[in-house]
Amino acid sequence: MDAEQQLQAIKQAKVLMVGAGGIGCELLKTLALSSFQDIHIIDMDTIEVSNLNRQFLFRQSHVGQSKAKVARDAVLRFKPHINITAHHANVKDPEFNVDFYKQFNIVLSGLDNLDARRHVNRLCLAADIPLVESGTTGFLGQVTVHMKGKTECYECQPKPTPKTYPVCTITSTPSKDQFEGGGGGVSLPLARNFSLPLARNLLTGTISLSCLVHPCLSFSHLCTPVLGCFILFVHCIVWAKDLLFSKLFGDKDQENDLNVCSNNATSSSEHAEDVFKHILDEDIEQYGRRIYDHVFGYNIEVALANEEAWKNRNRPKPTYSSDILPDKLIQQIGNLDNGATDDPSSVSAMGSLGLKNPRDIWNLEENTRIFLEALKLFFGKREKEIGNLTFDKDDQLAVEFVTAAANIRAASFGIPLHSLFEAKGIAGNIVHAVATTNAIIAGLIVIEAIKVLLCDTNSYRMTYCLQHPSRKMLLMPVEPFEPNKSCYVCSETPLSLQVNTHRSTLRDFVEKIVKGKLRMDFPLIMHGSALLYEVGDDLEEDMAANYAANLHKVLSELPSPVTSGTVLTVEDLQQELSCNINIKHREEFDEENEPDGMLLFGWTQAPPMNMDNSLPV
Amino acid sequence: MAEPKTKYDRQLRIWGEQGQAALEKASICLLNCGPTGSETLKNLVLGGIGSITVIDGSKVEAGDLGNNFMLDESSIGQSKAKCVCAFLQELNDAVKAKFVEESPEALIETNPSLFSQFTLVIATQLVEASVVKLDRICRRGNVMLIFARSYGLTGLVRISLKEHNVVESKPDHFLDDLRLNNPWPELKQFAETIDLNVTDLVAHKHTPYVVILVKMAVEWAERHGGCLPSTREEKKEFKEFLKSKTIALDEDNYKEAIEASFKVSTPRGISSNLRQIIDDSAAEVDSTSSDFWVMVAALKVEFIANEGDGEAPLEGSIPDMTSLTELVTGFVISSAVNLSRTLLLSSYDSETIVLLYTYKTDHCQLSCRHYVNLQKIYQAKAEADFLVVEQRVRNILKRIGRDLDAISKTNIKSFCRNARKLTVCRYRLIEDEFNSPILPELLKLLTDEDYSVAVGFYILLRAVDRFATNYNRFPGLFNG
Repeated sequence: MDAEQQLQAIKQAKVLMVGAGGIGCELLKTLALSSFQDIHIIDMDTIEVSNLNRQFLFRQSHVGQSKAKVARDAVLRFKPHINITAHHANVKDPEFNVDFYKQFNIVLSGLDNLDARRHVNRLCLAADIPLVESGTTGFLGQVTVHMKGKTECYECQPKPTPKTYPVCTITSTPSKDQFEGGGGGVSLPLARNFSLPLARNLLTGTISLSCLVHPCLSFSHLCTPVLGCFILFVHCIVWAKDLLFSKLFGDKDQENDLNVCSNNATSSSEHAEDVFKHILDEDIEQYGRRIYDHVFGYNIEVALANEEAWKNRNRPKPTYSSDILPDKLIQQIGNLDNGATDDPSSVSAMGSLGLKNPRDIWNLEENTRIFLEALKLFFGKREKEIGNLTFDKDDQLAVEFVTAAANIRAASFGIPLHSLFEAKGIAGNIVHAVATTNAIIAGLIVIEAIKVLLCDTNSYRMTYCLQHPSRKMLLMPVEPFEPNKSCYVCSETPLSLQVNTHRSTLRDFVEKIVKGKLRMDFPLIMHGSALLYEVGDDLEEDMAANYAANLHKVLSELPSPVTSGTVLTVEDLQQELSCNINIKHREEFDEENEPDGMLLFGWTQAPPMNMDNSLPV
Repeated sequence: MAEPKTKYDRQLRIWGEQGQAALEKASICLLNCGPTGSETLKNLVLGGIGSITVIDGSKVEAGDLGNNFMLDESSIGQSKAKCVCAFLQELNDAVKAKFVEESPEALIETNPSLFSQFTLVIATQLVEASVVKLDRICRRGNVMLIFARSYGLTGLVRISLKEHNVVESKPDHFLDDLRLNNPWPELKQFAETIDLNVTDLVAHKHTPYVVILVKMAVEWAERHGGCLPSTREEKKEFKEFLKSKTIALDEDNYKEAIEASFKVSTPRGISSNLRQIIDDSAAEVDSTSSDFWVMVAALKVEFIANEGDGEAPLEGSIPDMTSLTELVTGFVISSAVNLSRTLLLSSYDSETIVLLYTYKTDHCQLSCRHYVNLQKIYQAKAEADFLVVEQRVRNILKRIGRDLDAISKTNIKSFCRNARKLTVCRYRLIEDEFNSPILPELLKLLTDEDYSVAVGFYILLRAVDRFATNYNRFPGLFNG
């Protein structure tokens, strides 16, 4: 390739980089050093301490600032005369629409989640802009080139659904209904096909328990309907994080089944829903103990009352705070009274209790202390945040609280306890990351980007970076796959849907298919020229009312009836994605195997987990 | 802060505290801080390497800007080593960063003893003669050397050290350590407690394939004068023999047994690779021997020849065994078992795990119980082997006059678990590589589709360096 021609192509290119994290930092540096002149960066994140082991454009002093902006400034220091535009914003914001994408020659992605990747993929297809996609985890990494019509798109192959934890509350009879974990129902045979080798890899390659998260997940997700409740530490973490923590510190009004009572226990007033409410002037520790006794004591008793459920199981043991910790907590150093100067983000229950090593496994008493102390600290030091908190793996106090709560629950179920370090890995879904892999991957992205700019289509490669050499090679380049002809995202092939048009409502269709499977966020549904449904802020009131009314109607009774043979057009204007669905009426569905009551064809079910689904970048 | 290591959190999850400690103990020297060297140190400094020393005699010129992100306009005219060192220090204040503003080539000539203080020397863009000298210096001082050369999008990295011993070598494919070809008494006894001739279909289906193979091998040997199947014919016959024992079509455990039947016929004793290691003269240990060789010595005569019955210590883990009727359940169980195995390795009580997997159906329980029992037998044997080896190691340490506890239990355990996979890498001196390349090997690689490109570049890069040495300029420089 002529060097001058290559340089010109690089200099004239306008590049969009999404993600300024681990890969992003390396990528921006490499782009700048490779003479790229016009680069836009989008990243909504701010810098955290745990980024500093690899995101080398950031320093301790930048913690809390926008990644996109700090990265731009850092690169401009050694390459002052190029144009870098930083957008501290969500890549899914409407301002980044198809016209925005069209100004670029190429999009380079170093994102950390499936949802955003999918969105970028759809917009690149709509704008017909080539996309170089990447991801790393630990020593593993990969780079792929997606070019409409030439290579497969990001969604041509089934992608794993984001990790969803089965929330197993076990406050009453464990039953099928309780295992509504969040992720759509996984079809068992399919899930089985992929999982074993992967689960095995993950398991045999473990260094820390954090890796166990993945197999546990898919595993418990799979087996819950089949074999009942598998109580694992992961469940305890999920319970502590998604139920207890968000009940106490998050949005109070959210639906939350922490209080589910079994049918034979009538809820006394004491144990009514408001048990989680902090009564005015109530001593915080008193409040904490009340919560403690309710969730670890009373709820377990209620669950135990159902003998049938425990016939083949290890019976859990109700735990009450006064049994573990008869005396009131002693006022700790650095606690409520003398900490006026304390920065709320550095508040730590471990600190005030003198526990130092995050790798130690606390005993039940220590966990109980941490639980009560952390609750006290939240109310004493961070009261303003209560009601709006969501769990954050870098929030020390939140991690302490969740660890303690999960451990107390684990203890009562006879499950081994875990250290804060391990619990944090599970709760935060932490994927490990090092600079070296990111640097290699960023280099490969730029190499592919240059080929794309030179239209050197035959040279595109999909490259995997391995941890252990395979056939003496650490980098495995392979030729990219052709587009999947039946991909609903990048091909015109219509989907088809079997559904009982007399029984399923438009809402069922929107939730289970359009959002659940096609992953559209702002759908618009048309039957010919008739608009059946639309989402948006700027809808006329009467239209909105119309759509709301339609949602409740069964398909065959919509203003423009949907029956066998109907072709529906479903669109998401923000994703610029549109697809047609052929409707076929079918009377009966098997409840066990087809729980949605409808079946979509031409769409590939994603496996429930895969190691690349939350690549850290 | 309650967790001072937050910064390293993401990498600690990869290499653990031991790995991090090794990094933090290391002292690294970089020769020439061009783009390649600077980039290398960046990744090490971010990860928290102990100390770095940057050696470069040049001043920053305008041409350096834009290819090294550690330099900006204000650096022009200053020492390159100083500027790069300052940037690296900024990346991580826990690292001790130093610089020496001198030409590496000159230092190699005038101050060779300088290099003995480092754990590792990374030499970039050095001319051939200097590399050869530096290599000899490092070899003498027992310092590791990494030599790197890059041109545009191609480059070369060469590691040079006397010897590198790997315990956890993680080979690509490795047969599990089931010892089916040479079962020890406890395993045989366990197999004897299980009756294969039961008529109960459920029980028949849930016998782990390891048990089936152990028993069938015994039966076979009785009929064949004590020999196990070895010829192709016999192996085929053995498979047929196994097939004849199935009583239903869907017995996956028997299918697995048939698939794994070759494991019964694998040769007994240690691999030629391990044989080579224990026969190495380094296994004749004295007070200067490394821990690795002390453990190899313990393996050598003392274990393999005695308690080991000709074998290396048992690894102690067993693979998944699907012995269930329903595929789905089979998957669940094997995942469960897989999970429990991992948990067990991290020393959880196996009883707890079994309780965790108290399934609704008796089928599963039966299969799980067999599996766990089997697992315990393998673990017990591995533990017993370890204890023997540990004792031998202590004896040797005593004999060579070292502290009895000089090698930790954890290390010995890991050594035992990986005994079959030990790897010893020895590197030729770079000088030898340069002066007497192994031509047949190169020729072979040149014709290999997978490696021909890489080897082609290797030869080209070597030729460029040789050209530069002979003519004091790079090829193509005067071609306009």
